[in-house]
Amino acid sequence: MSQQHSIPVTLVAGFLGAGKTTLLNHLLNSDHGRRMAVMVNDFGAINIDSQLIVSQTQTTVSLANGCICCTVEGDLIAQLSTLLADPQTRPEHLIIEASGVSNPVKIANTLRYPQFRQSLHIDGILTVVDAAQFDDLDSDMTRLATEQLDAADIIILNKTDLLTPDQRTALKSRWLYPNARVIESEHGVVPLALLLGVERKTTAEPVSPDGRHTPALTAPTTTFETFKAVPHQHDSLFNTWSWQSDIPLNLKALRNVMASLPAAIYRAKGICHVAEARDQRCILHLVGTRCEITPAGPWKGATPGTQLIVIGKRGAIDANTLRTLLEACHDESNLGVVID
Amino acid sequence: MITSSTLSTPSFIAASSPKETADIVLINANIHTVDDNIPWAKAVAIRSGRFMAVGNKEDVTPFIGDHTKVIDLEGRFVMPGLYDMHTHPDLALAPGYADYLNIGLEDPTPEEVKQAILDYADSHPGDGWVYGQYFVRYTFKQAGLVADRDWLDSFMPDRPVAILDRSWGCMMVNSRALALANITAETQDPRHGYIERDSITHEPSGILVDGAYAIIHATMPPTPQHALTRAYREGLHFQSGHGVVGTKYVHVCEHRLNALRSLDQDGKLSVRVEAAISWQDDIFPVKRRWELLAGERHYYRSNRLNANAVKFHFDGTHESRSSYLSTPWPGEKNWRGHLNLTPEHIVDMVVDMDRKGIRVIAHCTGDGASDIFLDAVAQARARNGNSGVRHQCAHSTTLLDTNLARFKALDVTAEFSPVGWFPSSFANARAVFGEERMQRAYNFKGVIEAEGNAVMGTDWPVSSLNPWIGFEAMITRQNPFGEEEGQFFGQPISLEQAIRVMTINGAWCMGIEQHAGSISIGKSADLIVLDRDLFDIAIKGNLHATQVELTLLEGEVTWDRMGAFTDTDMAATWQEPLPAF
Repeated sequence: MSQQHSIPVTLVAGFLGAGKTTLLNHLLNSDHGRRMAVMVNDFGAINIDSQLIVSQTQTTVSLANGCICCTVEGDLIAQLSTLLADPQTRPEHLIIEASGVSNPVKIANTLRYPQFRQSLHIDGILTVVDAAQFDDLDSDMTRLATEQLDAADIIILNKTDLLTPDQRTALKSRWLYPNARVIESEHGVVPLALLLGVERKTTAEPVSPDGRHTPALTAPTTTFETFKAVPHQHDSLFNTWSWQSDIPLNLKALRNVMASLPAAIYRAKGICHVAEARDQRCILHLVGTRCEITPAGPWKGATPGTQLIVIGKRGAIDANTLRTLLEACHDESNLGVVID
Repeated sequence: MITSSTLSTPSFIAASSPKETADIVLINANIHTVDDNIPWAKAVAIRSGRFMAVGNKEDVTPFIGDHTKVIDLEGRFVMPGLYDMHTHPDLALAPGYADYLNIGLEDPTPEEVKQAILDYADSHPGDGWVYGQYFVRYTFKQAGLVADRDWLDSFMPDRPVAILDRSWGCMMVNSRALALANITAETQDPRHGYIERDSITHEPSGILVDGAYAIIHATMPPTPQHALTRAYREGLHFQSGHGVVGTKYVHVCEHRLNALRSLDQDGKLSVRVEAAISWQDDIFPVKRRWELLAGERHYYRSNRLNANAVKFHFDGTHESRSSYLSTPWPGEKNWRGHLNLTPEHIVDMVVDMDRKGIRVIAHCTGDGASDIFLDAVAQARARNGNSGVRHQCAHSTTLLDTNLARFKALDVTAEFSPVGWFPSSFANARAVFGEERMQRAYNFKGVIEAEGNAVMGTDWPVSSLNPWIGFEAMITRQNPFGEEEGQFFGQPISLEQAIRVMTINGAWCMGIEQHAGSISIGKSADLIVLDRDLFDIAIKGNLHATQVELTLLEGEVTWDRMGAFTDTDMAATWQEPLPAF
């Protein structure tokens, strides 16, 4: 099998005017250190700083930081196949703007087709909502709105400054669902770590065999478990915690915990040692309300263990609560063995 | 064999003898015959389903007897009946008539979905499928629930359930449905779709996406016969009311053929139908395909019905840029579109079908696909000689100029579907082949000038089942409804050319041009009486609105808006108002 790395894909959905292009611009122009490809409907609308443009064709704009921006025309399957097949254009991260009138669920479904399983995976689906326009939609638009919110892993609620507190509450109770992950933003400016699950690439990050970026982790410790806040350069609004354990985890319990994490937690990622698949390293990838735990090959001599990093809102997460939740996932049948 | 041919000769002579009287005589008409020997006429006489005289009043008078129905058309315009060479009433209508579950709410909550499933099961007792629409995943999220097999199993564990998502993003099925369809952890994902699974155990979750629906559809009972029959009945009614006398329903299975046969036996097959057996199970499963192709199709044969054709999608579509082009798509280095069959597959298939006397109708939207199809027909001609089977290139959206002459040379029909012939938001969105290709899109003119056979197919439900819309637009390439100004890509053809496309060319495409397709002595008495003279109106904005006053097929009155045969024993097949689709 090819050793090509699987490319993380971020899908950005939302109505026209909701702030998608502001967000895309932010992503394109940020100092993320990755070669990104951005697929948009119309790059004229993105307003790319001409200083950054290295070259431009009818359908593609290349930027000085290595990013490319291309228009989505017609068949996404065909276009993705072309993009991935050419080593010259193969990006390290792909961002797809779901047009303001298209259903992001369909795009997400396409990205999960078997033919792309080795070459890309959905990192996150972000739905940008214009708080001011969202509560005044006709019925067709209402349907699309629910589809966009259904698809969303994380909802970015823009322009909330235009709402009164009462309006804000009404909006949330009408449109949101339990445990929805909502980031309120005034200008589409949201920390990259939340949007893309990556930091600025200052040091080489270890990459798992299937290509999914795993957090920079320290060597497995002999400690039973740790849970601590990690100092980080994030926006001061967010915080990162890590947790380690060498006791296998019960899969169902772990999934339940991930499904019921406080809404203030936006991402979690890492390697898991799962009782139901002991011989496999499993990658845990949580973005907003979606969590995937996927086998990623044998341990190859490494000591099996779980190492997770969790990103959430500063001040809204109690480390002890998180630790208690995760400890409860320890597979009982193995406790004795480890204590011995 | 010898007996039948010796008998048929004297009967033909008798039919044209003045001693025989006509069943129907039309006089004082303005008849465009599409017969070069007598291009225009004023009267016709019909007996036993054939034209026994075509000419002036004095030519038909000798055939008027005591029992002849004589109709004075008061100068009305008459022409041969129309041919719609590609359409799908079953796909357009049958699902809606199948009595599947329809929850009927815009945003049903999980509780409402559950109740609707329970109610449907109560009113449809037994162990049959509960199949229908829609659930909305968002409302599950709002309720803090996951839409999957476990949820369905919690209240309907023993009876198969399959519910579509509102936006057709996925289908939710229960464990019983998965078991019947034999979908397990080991089942391979289909093309263009997948079975959602547990990432560790690979067990299916009960959510099936896109192409995976076909696995459930193949397991479910076919669309109920009553729904197929009703769909075809209404389609035929509409077509007769719009002057259609010959049509092709492309993509059929044994159940669809049974529905058509039952209508034929009831005397309701008011249009000649060529039904093309589907070569593709992802449209609907054809469980008896090979029996049908081997000879079972003959069981359905009558003078109105034949199943001597197969249909398949050789390439993709405009919208998805999967039409197979001869050079890369605009803006692409390598992407030329997609072929659903290998060129080797199509050569072997065309040669084999051709040898069996079966017409191959190949969906070819890109000029690369039609090129390969024509190559395959050339192979068939080289290996089989001229079998007499005229194959059909469906849609023919773009054709290579170098291929125009091959339609004539290989006896292949170029069929065009009118959905994109006139400016409209829909057509504009489909005009994606690039300026150069669009300029020669839907190239009726090129095929006709190269003496090839060009026909049209409404391709309902892709575009309207009303053939008059495309009829007008092929002459104007303008929007018939005045919704958008300007002329669409491609070259218009003349009214006379368009009339041939709609009539005799269709008959040729069905292999019956010796017996039908023009108003000629000895041919099948097929004609339509119109409320306007096509040669005396401004085509744009008018031709598409033509009302058909009377339709005759084999001298049988299938449609009689003018009431000429009301209360006679020749009263029209269809008496009710036209269905509005």
